[in-house]
Amino acid sequence: MHITAKEEYFDEPACEHNGVAKDKKACKTATPGSSTGGCALDGAYIVLSPIKDALNIVHAPINCLGNSYNQRTSETTQRENYYMYGFTTAINENDLIFGSEDKLRQGVIYVFNRFKPKAVFIYNTCVPALTGEDIEGVSKELAAKLKIPVVPVFSQGFSGNKNLGNKIAGDALFTHIIGRKEPEIDLLSDYNINLIGEYNIRGELFLIKKALKQAGINVLSTITGDSTIEEIMYSHKAGLNVVVCSKALIYLARKMKEKYGLPYIEGSFFGLTSTNKAIMDIVNSIGDYELTCSAKKYIKIRTRNTEENIYEYKRFLTGKKALLYTGGVKSWSLVSALNDLGMKVIATGVKKSTEEDKLRIKEIDGNGNIIMLDNGNPVNLIKIAREEQVDIILAGGRNQYTAIKSLIPFLDVNQERFNPYTSYEGMEFLAKQIYFEIKNPLFKLLKESNINL
Amino acid sequence: MNTEEYKEKNFNRKAIVINPERACQPLGAVLCAAGFENTMPFVHGSHGCVAYYRNNLSRHFREPIAGVCTSLTEDGAVFGGQANGFEGFRNASALYKPEMFAISTTCMSEIIGDDLGSIVGGAREKGYLAEDIAAPYANTPSFVGSHLEGYDSMLNAIIETLGKKSDANKQDTINIIPGFDTTIGNINEIKRILKIFGINYLVLADYSNTLDSPLNGEYKLYPDGATKLEDVKNCVNNKAAIALQKFSTKKTAAALSEKFGQDVRVVKSPIGISYTDEFLMTLSELSGKEVPKELEDERGKAIDSMTDAQQYIHGKKFAIFGDPDMLMGLTGYLLEMGGIPKYVLCSNGTEEFKKEIEDLFASYSENQGEVYIDKDLWHLRSLLMTGPVDMLLGPSHGKFAAREANIPHIRVGYPIFDRVNIHRYPLYGYSGVINLTTWIVNKFLDILDDTSDDAHFELMR
Repeated sequence: MHITAKEEYFDEPACEHNGVAKDKKACKTATPGSSTGGCALDGAYIVLSPIKDALNIVHAPINCLGNSYNQRTSETTQRENYYMYGFTTAINENDLIFGSEDKLRQGVIYVFNRFKPKAVFIYNTCVPALTGEDIEGVSKELAAKLKIPVVPVFSQGFSGNKNLGNKIAGDALFTHIIGRKEPEIDLLSDYNINLIGEYNIRGELFLIKKALKQAGINVLSTITGDSTIEEIMYSHKAGLNVVVCSKALIYLARKMKEKYGLPYIEGSFFGLTSTNKAIMDIVNSIGDYELTCSAKKYIKIRTRNTEENIYEYKRFLTGKKALLYTGGVKSWSLVSALNDLGMKVIATGVKKSTEEDKLRIKEIDGNGNIIMLDNGNPVNLIKIAREEQVDIILAGGRNQYTAIKSLIPFLDVNQERFNPYTSYEGMEFLAKQIYFEIKNPLFKLLKESNINL
Repeated sequence: MNTEEYKEKNFNRKAIVINPERACQPLGAVLCAAGFENTMPFVHGSHGCVAYYRNNLSRHFREPIAGVCTSLTEDGAVFGGQANGFEGFRNASALYKPEMFAISTTCMSEIIGDDLGSIVGGAREKGYLAEDIAAPYANTPSFVGSHLEGYDSMLNAIIETLGKKSDANKQDTINIIPGFDTTIGNINEIKRILKIFGINYLVLADYSNTLDSPLNGEYKLYPDGATKLEDVKNCVNNKAAIALQKFSTKKTAAALSEKFGQDVRVVKSPIGISYTDEFLMTLSELSGKEVPKELEDERGKAIDSMTDAQQYIHGKKFAIFGDPDMLMGLTGYLLEMGGIPKYVLCSNGTEEFKKEIEDLFASYSENQGEVYIDKDLWHLRSLLMTGPVDMLLGPSHGKFAAREANIPHIRVGYPIFDRVNIHRYPLYGYSGVINLTTWIVNKFLDILDDTSDDAHFELMR
């Protein structure tokens, strides 16, 4: 029974802050009474649900899915896409008393017959974990019966936060999916990579893929935006893993390196500098002279082109102050993107960032003036924004209305964002959106109305 | 998949819910708490639940929503959640300085069997929870009921904990209990009607301001305008209470009536002419005042708007889904307009609800429809594909089924994520009648214009 999360999850050699905390488990505990971030289920669901031909069944009371499905986007080119569907066993009181393994079994068989998915992910949650249901046994039995992967995901919320959930999902893919198939020859080019941790919110993956393709690089598999089970099955045949978001999936990259000898690098596609660097890091890792030359040429043209397109925005934005509250890799890569626009980043959130992420922020920052925010409570954010007289806050949805209520322009850069912000086109969107938010005439209207400010 | 055979198979499905259309108990509890001043919703459970409630409510209201949890972990599963509860009170008191914690539970704390009474008591004894912070608590596991029961239990807990019975304090005020109603416009409409009537009232719980707070440059963790705790203390001494939803106020209504001896009236949600009339008559009876002329005139105007537009609704078929009380009202309104509420689908409806809808159908013998309880949006899809209707009314999640069935979808109820401001317009009262008529009829007319060929593209509609 998997009531406890694997010890291994908390011992990540590829993670710079491993062992930094006295107790390795430090990265999973949240403070009662203050934090309300997502849980392991949330994290696992985010990673696995974008696989468009797999079904995700949340084995839980109605809460876990009823309140949370359809809360993100993950675009796909394929019509048959189960991303927006929500499946749950909706455990009720009777199930608690008599057990719900059979309900789960029947539920999986029903959706298998109706939807013909290529795989089913079954999420264990707090309730069946506490009552000790044998999710693993049911999965095994169904996988044999239905002849598709039926994958147990041990993402019970009490095990930890969203990051842990990402890791658990990565482990599920590693254990049950990756390496199960060989790619067709025509899917392979000379330079094949996987993108890990790109979920294609608002089509961001499409923009990254486009840039990579033009630079001469083939994306073999994406884990997991706009992906299929099959492409993840043969992802081990790529030449390089590129971890683009969420440090938690570095776990998967490391595991793939250990088992398949597949090297990995990290990269981000937010902002011009980051995008260029990511492409160059990829070609440098591949180490082919001709590819390097053509990529360099591509980058040069695209950079000049993008800079022309954002020229007017940049002229306005130069010197403007921003407060950034987002986690993980985005904390440094957005700092870099805002630097590209000539903006001054006053503070950035680092709650979900690693020590390495923090070092990168310092590197980009140069002067070391950026405030590193560990505490994202709204009162604190607004206080800093006011003191530093920032021109805009960039953060996620939960802070959106707080900022607006305080008359501070705001741009959502998390999962609720309205535009793709990656790659060259994304840079243009980002520049335009920040410009539009700051220039929004409504703020002027309110400030001029001379109410208590 | 669009066949009768599949529909039958789909309706025999027991083991799985596809595209759920209900939320869970603690979400209702958190919403209820948002209606009381300086109150922090405090959810005793594991990590993620509160994040879901906050996201969900925040996206509907487009407002910030406060809420904390005790972040139970594996240790909690083994040793119980008391330690987390204590620490949670201490931290949240220091950080957010509330006047009241509205405490609810989740599946996890229910399963490990935590006793909220002893946790609150222990926290007070050991100094984690100050005496001057009120701490009503309710058991709200997700594996039973829905957001309706959670709302009810929390409201009941707050009234029972704070309420102080006293004969000296008898007031002619009437308690108004909106129930789980995320249409801010409804609460405002009721307040407007009471003002016209000249009746003193107290809304329990009033989040019409806190979840629609003015943008004036100042973010407040606890926005102004919620029900005052002082008033809650005295609410049990008020003259009477009117519950505007039956299915989300059962516990509260029973407690006010049985425990505190209050005259409690549970009316049908005042949607449509008849149910609004009923509500006004109840007000008139309780207050001893005649229905003001102003409201009588509003009634006349609303009926006028209906007759102007009835030809576009008469004979049209509708599918509606959402919470039971709203569905009751919508069914009544559609029947009044000559519409056919062909499918009424309620995920959290009871047998009692089903019977009431069937009785309503029976009173309009020509327009019988079908009512489904305990069904999800995949069932709804089957219905729309096998027996088509002209329009779908319900919350946002219905948009996928509506698109597949190629019918228009008017957003009403909870949650509405993909349209703005709808929750600011009342469905209640005579104003609500006009809003509903406007939305439904103009949508049909838009479609007529969008799809008509040049020969039939006319100004006369």
